[in-house]
Amino acid sequence: MAEEVVMLTGNHSVSEAVKRVKPDVIAAYPITPQTAIIEYLSKLVDSGEMDSHFIRVESEHSALAAVAGASWAGARTFTATSSQGLLYMGEWVFWTGYARLPVVMAVVNRCLAPGWSIWVDLQDSMAFRDAGWIQIYNKNNQEVFDTTIQSYKIAESKDIALPVMPCLDGFVLSHTSSKVILSDPEEVYNFVGDYSDPIIEIDTGKPFAYGSIVMPDKYNKDRKDLMEAMERAKAKIKAVNKEFSETFGRTYGNGLIEKYGDDDADLTIVGIGTMADETQQAIDMLTSEGLKVNSVRVRTFRPFPTEDIIDIAKKNHKLLVIDRSVSFGHEGHLQMEIESVLKRNSIDTPVIGKVMGLGGEDVPYTRIAKVAKENL
Amino acid sequence: MIELLQISRGGSGGVTGAKILAEAAMYEGLDSQAIPKYGAERRGAKVEAYVRFDTSPIRIHSPVYNPTHAMVLDSSLIKSLEIDKVSKDGIIMINSSHIPDFLKGTNRKVAYVDATSISKELGLVVSGFTLTNVTMLGCFAKATGIIKIENIEKAIEKTLGAKIAPKNIEAARRAYEKTKVEIA
Repeated sequence: MAEEVVMLTGNHSVSEAVKRVKPDVIAAYPITPQTAIIEYLSKLVDSGEMDSHFIRVESEHSALAAVAGASWAGARTFTATSSQGLLYMGEWVFWTGYARLPVVMAVVNRCLAPGWSIWVDLQDSMAFRDAGWIQIYNKNNQEVFDTTIQSYKIAESKDIALPVMPCLDGFVLSHTSSKVILSDPEEVYNFVGDYSDPIIEIDTGKPFAYGSIVMPDKYNKDRKDLMEAMERAKAKIKAVNKEFSETFGRTYGNGLIEKYGDDDADLTIVGIGTMADETQQAIDMLTSEGLKVNSVRVRTFRPFPTEDIIDIAKKNHKLLVIDRSVSFGHEGHLQMEIESVLKRNSIDTPVIGKVMGLGGEDVPYTRIAKVAKENL
Repeated sequence: MIELLQISRGGSGGVTGAKILAEAAMYEGLDSQAIPKYGAERRGAKVEAYVRFDTSPIRIHSPVYNPTHAMVLDSSLIKSLEIDKVSKDGIIMINSSHIPDFLKGTNRKVAYVDATSISKELGLVVSGFTLTNVTMLGCFAKATGIIKIENIEKAIEKTLGAKIAPKNIEAARRAYEKTKVEIA
């Protein structure tokens, strides 16, 4: 079987990647707009096309608990969720991150209730930015496929050992069909490698207590280790992005961020997810009008691309940060991080923040261009 | 960039039709997107879907606001079409044996074919719904010339499978042959 070029939704792009990576254990609970990922995988397991053990559970809390347990037992795992489902998993999201289990969980971004809504914003995954997970936000269905594959290679690296959350915009990617190159299954599997030498493996022959009480000194050492692993993950994500590009010919900026346009811009639009992809269209429009603008898409929110943000702020004159999530009582999450990076490094490039696109509000490139002009 | 607005009724296969069209565009060598508009869909209610085609990679993720062309799968929905939003050079494609009164005098290019009759003749009826989604793709190929009928057929075959594709391919072909294009 070779490479295939198909029309695929974002959800099925995740499933096709997972199929090629061959997880030992999959557990999930349905929730819109994620459901199609798991439906498709369960079909493949049922038909025998996939050899994974599929655990049907009664809730998202159990879904993540099941894959975390399997990961502890040395299995390669997968789950997916959205919105309220992710919130319901909450306890286990932190547990999985703090335990450094290399779980991969696709999050199809959907806003939180109330008001009851099914459309995209990033409030759900952003609520877990402090849970010790790597978060990678995608711009199109091809990247969704590619990032899901890369996630395993990053998570299962022994020097990283962190869970990874590939995030995709609900409906905008999850239910929209577009062209996706599905790489050869064997090549994908070889790229990721098998997981026969796991990071951790519960061995009943050597009994050991897990999750028992830890005194403050050891606790602090664990959290410091987690911080350091996140720091190392930056280089790892870049390296995996490069290796992926060499193997499959597709690349996403330097892995952490994707730049568009020339440096020395009067205004740099910084964004995340599909809105940042659409921003490139706005940049083309503004550039053709003679304006000096460029854009940056933040691909990994955790670990945060601090060094790249410093570099961008130094090479350009003003930043317009567009967030699709917000910390109430403060500001947008991206803006918050960028301002903190600049302050810490004594960089005085002005930062303007805009929160847009909550609850699936559409933000076309024409509107992005208009906001850019208002802030030039 | 060419953008299509498709209006149909829930249950008539509009979303699948849009996806098949986007796939046919891919075989044509174009970049494409099929975007179903999700909301409170229910069978029989008005459903919109959008398809984009371009010669370069598409970076736009928004719904289509000002379509190049519009395609209406159920003629009773024609009055919900905001004609002014459709490009003046575009084509309004409709499942109808004649140009509806609503379009007469608009000076718009209208492509029409009685897709319902074609689908019924071929037995494309599921749970009381006559499926006109694939049939109308033949109308699209004929009226716009953007995508060859062969590529539409290939996409139908790939999506629907060898068992049910033949009837659908035949339906698209018949619509392709019977589509009439006139200035309304």
